[in-house]
This record gives sequence, C-alpha cells and structure tokens, in this order.
Amino acid sequence: MRNKIVFFLNGTKEEVGSEHAGLMLSDYLRLKKNLTGTKVVCAEGDCGACSVLRYFPHKQTTEEGTYLPINSCITLVANLDGSSLVTVEALKEDDKFHVSQKAMIECHGSQCGFCTPGFVIALSGLVEKKISENKCSLNSQEAKNALTGNLCRCTGYEPIINSALNMDLKSASSLKNRYFSKQQEQELKKTTDESVKIEGSDFSYFAPKTLNEALDYLKQYPQARITGATTDLGVVHNKRKIQLNHVLSLHLIENSYKIEKNGDEITIGARVTLSDFRSFMKIHLPEMAHYLDIFASPQIKNLATVVGNVANASPIGDTPPALLALRGRVVINGSKEIPLEKFFKGYRQTALGQGEIITAIKMTLPKKNADLRFYKNSNRKDLDISAINLAIHTEWKNEEKTEIKDIIIAAGGVAAIPMRMVKTEDFFKQNNDLKGALSILHQEFNPLSDLRASAAYRHVLVENFIKRFFAECGGLQ
Amino acid sequence: MSLPHDFAHTHVTGQSEYVDDRPALHHELYVDIFYSTRGHAEIIKLDFTEVLKQPKVIKVFTAKDIPHNLWGAIFKDQPILADKIVQFAGEPIALIVAETMEAAQRAKQKVMIEYKDLGAILTIDEAKKLKSFIGDARKIERGQVDEAMSKALHQITGKIEIQGHDHFYLESQATIAYPLEDGQLEIHSSSQHPTETQHVVAHSLGLPDKDIVVQVKRMGGGFGGKESQAAPFAAMAALCAQKLKRPVRLCLTKDDDMIMTGKRNPFENIYKIGFDQEGKILAWDVQLFSDGGAYADLSTSIMERAMLHSDNAYYIPNMRVTGQVCKTHHHPHTAFRGFGGPKGVATIEKAIEEIAHFLKKDPLEVRKINLYSDTNERNLTHYGQKVENNQLYRLHEELEKKCDYKKRRQEIELHNQSHLSTLRGLSLTSVKFGISFTTRFLNQANALVIVHLDGSLQISTGATEMGQGVNARISEMVTSELGLSRDQARVMPTRTDKNANTSPTAASSGTDLNGAAALLATRKIKRRLSELAQYLLDLPQEKWASKTAGLGTQAEFVLKHSNLDVNDPNEGADWISGKANYFGIIFEDGFVYHESNKTKKIEFKSLILEAYLNRISLSDYSFYRIPGIEFNKLTGQGDAFLYFTQGTACTEVSIQRDTGEVKILRTDILMDLGRPVNHDLDIGQISGAYIQGLGWVTTENLFYNDQGLLLSHAPSTYKIPSIQDTPRHFQIELLKNDENYANVRGTKAVGEPPLLLAISAWTAINNALTHLPRFEKNYPQLKIPATSERILRSMEPEKFKVWES
Repeated sequence: MRNKIVFFLNGTKEEVGSEHAGLMLSDYLRLKKNLTGTKVVCAEGDCGACSVLRYFPHKQTTEEGTYLPINSCITLVANLDGSSLVTVEALKEDDKFHVSQKAMIECHGSQCGFCTPGFVIALSGLVEKKISENKCSLNSQEAKNALTGNLCRCTGYEPIINSALNMDLKSASSLKNRYFSKQQEQELKKTTDESVKIEGSDFSYFAPKTLNEALDYLKQYPQARITGATTDLGVVHNKRKIQLNHVLSLHLIENSYKIEKNGDEITIGARVTLSDFRSFMKIHLPEMAHYLDIFASPQIKNLATVVGNVANASPIGDTPPALLALRGRVVINGSKEIPLEKFFKGYRQTALGQGEIITAIKMTLPKKNADLRFYKNSNRKDLDISAINLAIHTEWKNEEKTEIKDIIIAAGGVAAIPMRMVKTEDFFKQNNDLKGALSILHQEFNPLSDLRASAAYRHVLVENFIKRFFAECGGLQ
Repeated sequence: MSLPHDFAHTHVTGQSEYVDDRPALHHELYVDIFYSTRGHAEIIKLDFTEVLKQPKVIKVFTAKDIPHNLWGAIFKDQPILADKIVQFAGEPIALIVAETMEAAQRAKQKVMIEYKDLGAILTIDEAKKLKSFIGDARKIERGQVDEAMSKALHQITGKIEIQGHDHFYLESQATIAYPLEDGQLEIHSSSQHPTETQHVVAHSLGLPDKDIVVQVKRMGGGFGGKESQAAPFAAMAALCAQKLKRPVRLCLTKDDDMIMTGKRNPFENIYKIGFDQEGKILAWDVQLFSDGGAYADLSTSIMERAMLHSDNAYYIPNMRVTGQVCKTHHHPHTAFRGFGGPKGVATIEKAIEEIAHFLKKDPLEVRKINLYSDTNERNLTHYGQKVENNQLYRLHEELEKKCDYKKRRQEIELHNQSHLSTLRGLSLTSVKFGISFTTRFLNQANALVIVHLDGSLQISTGATEMGQGVNARISEMVTSELGLSRDQARVMPTRTDKNANTSPTAASSGTDLNGAAALLATRKIKRRLSELAQYLLDLPQEKWASKTAGLGTQAEFVLKHSNLDVNDPNEGADWISGKANYFGIIFEDGFVYHESNKTKKIEFKSLILEAYLNRISLSDYSFYRIPGIEFNKLTGQGDAFLYFTQGTACTEVSIQRDTGEVKILRTDILMDLGRPVNHDLDIGQISGAYIQGLGWVTTENLFYNDQGLLLSHAPSTYKIPSIQDTPRHFQIELLKNDENYANVRGTKAVGEPPLLLAISAWTAINNALTHLPRFEKNYPQLKIPATSERILRSMEPEKFKVWES
C-alpha cells in the first residue's frame, strides 16, 4: 500500500502526500510548482482556461491511449494518481513552438492571452489525436468540437478556428513520444498495481484495488465521498460550499473501466467516462453519441463518468433521461440492480444506502424498428446546462406507426428529479392519441421558473419536443 | 501578412504574466471581500467574532478603517466599503485578510450580519415613478420636432428594452499591493486606468500621489469593466497592505466579480418617429432612460454617448433626444465597449425596421435613403458636427453586392414559405461611431521613448494592454519611423511614475492618443539624429566621435536646429508612408542615408553611439492633445469627435420554430478603418467585438433575485458565445480608404465600433419573425437579449399564457 499519489508532470515524477493531494490540480500547479501558465477563470470547469493534458495508461478502454485535455481547476491532485500530465509550459521544445502554438501566434489566435494556454492545450490534444490516428488534415467542425470547452472573450473565435486549420500537422511531433517513455509506463504500471491510502490532518484518501476493500472502507468511514472525477463535487468545493477532505476513489479497480455489450444489454462500469461512452455508443447507438456531442465539454467528458452523472441525481443531468428511456438499471455493490426510475428519490436524493457504491449502469438497446430521440434545450446550444432535456423511445405495433406498443418519455428539468411521464405513456399506449396525451402530460409535471427558463417555457418545450418527435419519426397521424 | 501581437509568443507558452501570476512573496496575505446580499438595507448587526476565530485569519477591515471612503470617476458618491447602509446586493462591506485565499473564503461564511430592508428600487420604471435619478435630464435638439412630427404622413411610437451585459473579461479584477519604505505603496493592478487607480488609492488612504505607483503590465481582458471599477479594489488591497505592512493580494473569483461589479447599463427607450411614404425620416423624438445602478460611476457620460449616437448613420432633419440616468439598487453600471453607443443605435435601428415593416419595404432601402450624405447638405448631425470623410453609402453599396443581399432576401422569402421547422431572417445595419472622449480634457496623452546605446528601444505610454494590441501598434509605429524592425522595441509596463495624468485606455482611443504621443516623441529623437547623420555623412569616419571623443581632438557636434514642438502627428509626414523626413535623411532597414545618395549609409546602431558621444539626447517625452474637440455639454452642440469610424454588417439567422433557438448562418462585415497599422489586429478586433455584441443581443441574460442579487454569476449560468455560436460563414473585409487625414498615420480606431454591428443579428431575428402571420401588422416586441425563450414566447404567446394565468 502506498501513502503517496504518483504521477508524471511534464515528464518528471511527482510524489504527493497528504499536504497537497487534496488541492485542485490548478492550485497545485500555480501555487506549488509555479506553473502559472495554467489559468483559473471560473473554477467550475466551464471556460477551459485551466486545461492541461492527461494520459492515463492504466485505463484500457475504447478511447485511444493518448493525452486528452481535462479541466485542472476541478480535478483533485489525488485523483490524478497514475497519470502523465503535460502543461502549457512544456509544449515548446527547446526553441521550437508546438504546431498549435505556432499557428496561434501567426493567425492572431491570441489577444489578451488569458484563455490562450487553455486553447493551446485543447489544440495540442487535437493534434495528439490526429497523430495517434495517423491523420494530417482536419476540418473546421472538428476544430470547433475540440474547442467547445474553451471560452474566449476577445477574438470572436474566428482567428482561433483559422489557427486550428493552419496547424502544420505533418510536422507535428508527438507529446507522447516526448513525455511518456517505456520506463515511465512501467513505473506507473507498478504504481497502479498498488492501492493508495493517505491519512492526513486535512485530507484523507483511499483508492483500493478491489470493490470489497472499498466497501470495508466505507463501513469504517461513512463520511468519505466517493468521487469519480469531481467534475461536480470539485465545483461545490471550489465555491466553498463543501470541503472535499475525505475521499474514496475507485480508479484503481480493474473492471470499473469496462463498457461492454451482451446481446442488447450494455453495461457501463463506474469509471467509464462520457468520452469512452460516446465512442462506444457511436458504434452501437449513434443517436446517443450525437446527443453526447451537445452537452458538456471535451475536457469534462474526458474525466466525468456516466455513473457520476447518475449518482449526482441532478434534475437537469443530461444522461438520466436518455438512460431512463433505455430502461436503465443501477448496479449497486456489484450485484443488486435498481431500475433507474426507482433510483431517484428527491432533489439530489437517491436510493443509494449507506455503505453502497454504484458499480455500473446497465441499459437495453432499442429494438430495430423502435424510434428513439433525445432533445435538449438550453440558453446556449453547446456546453450549457439544460432547461429541458427529453428522451422518447417508442415501439410501434404497426408499420404505419399509428399504434404504439410501448413508449417511454423521460424528462429532466421538469421536477426535482429526472422523471418518466408514466401517465402520458399509459395514455399513449391505450389511446394512440397525441392531443389527448399532451393534456395528460402537462398534469404530470409542475416545473420551476428559474434563471434557465420559466415554468411556462418548460411546459411549451416539452410539448413541442414531443410533437417534434412524432413529426420526425412520422408516427401517429 | 501582419506582424503578430507583440506578446503572442509568450501568451501561447503560458509565460505572459498577469497580476495573480506574480510569485507570492514571503508573508504575503490574501483578501476576500464580504458583500451585501440585500439591495437596499441598513446594517443593524455586523459581527466578525467567528471569522476571527477561523484558522489563518489575520484581520478584518471595514469602512471605519478607511480615511476617505468615497470615490467616483465623475461624482465622488460611492463608498469603497459600505458604511451602515448598503445600496446594492454585492456591495463590499468588509475585507477579510488571511494567510491563504481559501482560508479567507471559508472564513467569509462566518460573518454574522443582520439587515433592516429599506426597499430596493430594481427597475427603471420604479425609479422613474419615484424620481430616483442620477444627474439631470439632458437634451439635444435640432429643428422643429413637434411640428415636423405632426406634419409627417406616418408616425410610429414604440419602446425598446435593453438589458445589461457582463464584460466577462477572463481575468477577474485583480490587485496586489506592496508596501515600500517610507510609507510608499506599489500597486500592481489589472486596470484600464492606472492614473485613476493611483489617485483613488492615494485619496482613500490620505496619501500624496507621489507615494503611490501603479503598474499595469497587461490585463486578461477589460472591455470597459476595468476603466473605473478596478480602482476601488486596488484601494482595498492598499488599505490592508498599509495597515498590516505586508504584501496583500486581492484577486476576485469569477462569481464574486460578476456579483459585485457593474455591467453595461440597461436602457428603456421610448420613441416616436415621423416619416414619409418613401420611408424618409422627418422627425425623431426619443427619450433614453438608463439604469445607472446605485452610484454614478460613468453612467452620465455613457448616457451622453447614447444621445450622440441616437442618429446612428442617418440624417434626421428634426430630432430631439433626451437622456436621464436612473438611480436603482443594482451594482453601479459602468463602461462597456461601445459605451452608450449601442443603446442609442439599437433604438434607431429598431425604428427603421418598423418603418420598413409598416411601408412593406426592404429595410435596406429605407436605410439607404436616410444615410448621411454630402448631397443637399444631409451631413450635419443633431449636435451640429459635420460628418466628414463619409463612407456610409459606399459601405452599404459594396456590402450589399458582396453579400448577395437581394438574392438571399428572395431565398429567405421562399424558405419561410416552404419550411415549417425553421424561420430565417436577414438584416444589414451599419455604424457611425464617434471617436474621441466626449469629455474634452480626457483627450490627452504622453509618451516616453528611450533609445539605448545598442540601438534598442523602450517605449512607455499611458496605454494599457488588454489584448487589443495597442502596444503592438505603438511599437510598430515607432520602429517604422526609425526604419527598424518591431522587435527592436519593447513597450514597457504602464506605470504612473513614468506616464502621469493619463486617460483611461478606453473610447477606442488607446492607439490614437498614445500612438500619436509616442510618434511625436520618436520624431523629436529622429530629428536630432537626422541632423547628426547629415553631419556625419560628410565627415570622414576617422573623425567621428567614436574614434576621437576620448581624445578630445575633434570638436563636439552641436545641434543647430531648435527642438521639434508640434501637436500634429501627421505634420511633415509623407502621407503615403506616414513617416517624417528631416534634412533629407531616410531611416530604413536599420540604416540611415541621405535621400540623394542611397549607397552611403550609416548603421542605426553606430549613429546612436555617435549621438551619445556627442552628448545628444537619445530619449524624449512628448505630449499630444486631440485638436478641434469643441463640444458644449450644456447646449449639446459642437464637434464632439475628431472623426467617425464607420462600418456595415449583414447577418442571416435561422430560428428553430418549436424552441426559439437561434443559429447565425452567415455574417458579412465591411468596415472603413482608414489605413490600419496592423491589418490582422484590426480584423481580430472586429470579429471579437461582433461576437461579443452577438452575445449581448442573444444569449447573455443577467438574472437577478428580488433583492437585485445577480444569480447568473458564472459561465455555467451566464452564457457568452462559445465557438459553436460563431456564424457558419464569417467574412470580414476592410474598405480601402487612404483619406483619413484627421488621425495618426491615417488610421481609424477599431475597438468599439464593430460591437454595434451585432445589432444586425438582433434585427435579423426580428426580420425572421415578421414573416409570421401574427406579425403582419405589428412589429415584434423583443428585448435585448432575444433569448430563445423570448423568441418562442413572442411566436406563441397563447401557449405561454396557459401556464402563466
């Protein structure tokens, strides 16, 4: 058992104990390592100024093994155990700018410069991806998608898009070659073979190798927070509403990274990130992958887990309605299964008991002729918290799609929990009547008015999305 | 290709230093600000007992610790820390000093406070009813408005509601105060106005200005938000540093910054417009009301600019504009790119759209017949300034062609008839933005240029760098004057001990003012060097001072010509190159020569050495004042501006009919920027300003609770445009115009004007809606910003009413 967090920072090994393991990475870089190129603007993972590159070789999943941009402002140093990190200071090689830097200089991609390190890191991540895929070209949509998690207030983005398109990918050298040697790989492998426990006066941390150890620890320390990537708890911590001082992490548990398909059932392990989930779903359910494109940022998706998005039980979480529509089940302690609609109990309350850990989420792929759609409305199209999100999954009795065999309508932003519109579903199944169903629908929920949307807008949106669903799939005329 | 930003190479490596990047000194302390959560209340209990018990907490300061608590950019009406009464939610009350930032932040939650509410005014309407105003009502009038209005064939009355707009500079307000010997303080601040920051710090602490030095290296964005409002935060840090005799750092979190600091003023404008059958405007009567927030800040000046821009690009023979700032209990609103301009312009642009809608004409046709033009003397503004070097008509004609306006207009008509899921709209609007501070005395600047013995230069001005590239432009002007490459000069951090009594870097004037001053200082040196060069070119090298000065065998060269003393940076300059020529000496590529003999050259570096050895000054200081600013604030008449920056934009939008969501499909911009010093920097200003303006008119929605406390105070809730919100096709071009003789090197200021071009996105949204049967008679009544909810609500009000009755 280790008592130090181990990772590589710009090629140098770092061993961090209780004193600094509870810091957010951005604070560790800026205050303890004097690496002030990494900026903090929002401290909530929304602006990307704090982006750094992370490679986590321990994880063996669908995403290519490469450096991915993450938000350092909401990532605990402890949770980077086993990683290799690269910050903006390390991109330039002797006197040679990284291709992303060179392009940003030449194409005026930087004005005040405060967001620039984050953009350069995100672009470098894109370059790493291109190198790993052996591709030398990129289009503006790819560039935009890679930069969705970075806000700039000066340039209007146009010069940054031009910078991305003018990166000389042919001459790009791989950061992985520079900062991740075979020797480091072996060293990290050895590191992650061992569990880690830190017991300090201000910060305690446990990352076991097995589920049983985790459960035992929880019994002993029920106050310990189980964290996936702290993309949510990190925000609450930074806003000083909680203090993340006792943490349990599952990052060393082997099969927690598994995402697999058995027949039409998909099992998503506790540590599967939204990025991994997207890659996997791109093959098995493209509609889901597309939906994942419009929420959160690449930086968040590279860290945040599907299980975390469910466990968090936010009424406006973006995966729960989709998972509800796919008959999601929450797997607890490796064995017990609870249907997702029974998991959400109240505002940010779940059926998860003391000493229980969500080990996976299961869901069932739709039948071939079923129609499935996901909708989301937010003030800004990309990287914004939903006013309403909605998933509809319909199986038809007939080819003309006038009679419904089964339907699930699940929505977020309509109540204290992500919920299914059960009465509306029943009415649809019995009457196959859209107009009647809509009047039932509105009685089923009573949304709040808040800064994202008025209650009325939420009502109108839910109704309009349902209408759009039937218009798009050509059903129920 | 233009040169890059002068610090692009350190921005991309993370090497560029901002205030909070400065290494912490031993013993440095951190401040967090405890602020009010009530809009207007008396503080009846304020207890820090628990705060002081928290680990690492050193001290708490309140209003009573500040010798002179009131500050203000125009009127000194705002307390640095609230004393007994709070007047807005977010108003600073106490400073909590601790050994770490986190300790201060956590201790802040332990403040015990009790309020007695005094009733907060939170809307312009309430303020008007209660006559709660800041400053007097102002009026600018020309012609016979009432008579012309009643005689006009048609009249339309209307109202426009414009919300605030957060600057969202990435770097929040930041200051470090270092106590020095003998009671001096050195302040490092993220400020657009180091001089005012110096003065506010000195005044608040009761110190003479000589004991305070303010340094601004660069800002991570400013946009007007650090023009006046950086100063009180510097004063807070300075107070703590002075009292505790330790360096003190005050760097706000984004949330606290957004809650505490003022925004672009909200406006609610009421208007009546009279016009003929053609659409020609005959009378324009508009009343502007702004929400100034709790304190005056710059709101009265902002209102003035709004009034001066209520004509925008249009000649209006009979026009009356009144302006009144309302006092509410919101954060004190402040400068934001465009100042009052966008609010005046949005109003007239909406009225023009309404005229076109009423007459069933294309709005572009109505715009074109109303433009300022030299024919029939339709070139005099309502404040009596002639619009010179007017490019408006050319800009409209060229952009209309370039963007294929007519064809796309027809396509949009067809699209809207045949597509049920989306609605499209198109609009072409323009801007005529007055360049100069409307307050005359601010139009001055000074600069210091130093040539070192190796021939490299340091330039110091009062300009502050916030990304706009003012330093890049200044160093480009200075070095090109001396025939050097730009990297031979470095623009130094702005410091009040080198450049005093400077104006804020604001009003788009940074390069105009400071560039002119720096160029004048450079010319003084250049003139001396030219005279020396002329002498040296005729003198055998063995007689040069570098060979003889130590021996004293050669007489010292004495300048015969008097020093250069002019205020016009274009005087004596060759118009095409922009460079001055003295005694026929040419400075080129690091060498000087006489224009009559290109082969006989002296290296610039050698010339500098000879100048030094002949005891000729290699440094100079210069002062520049913008000529011809004669605006009388009492009569509202006169030449308010040196010149106008003009431009046009055409934006096409698509609205999702069942959600109200907007996509910007295409934007074409054409601007007249005279002769840019650095083309690409200017283009970057245009794209940045347009997208910032786009956020203002679409997604950036400030949401307050019933105490006026801002709830959308972080990027998770306040949505500035992301990279996905940029127009799918975005084309920016500059008009070729060599004719701007008014300004340094024939350039035109670019900082603010293009923001106003984003109004075309808002009018395009309105234009899309007019295709719906519901708007056949009545023009849509959308606020700024037109959020997707507001758009859907205007399309389907009945559906919303069901849930709101």
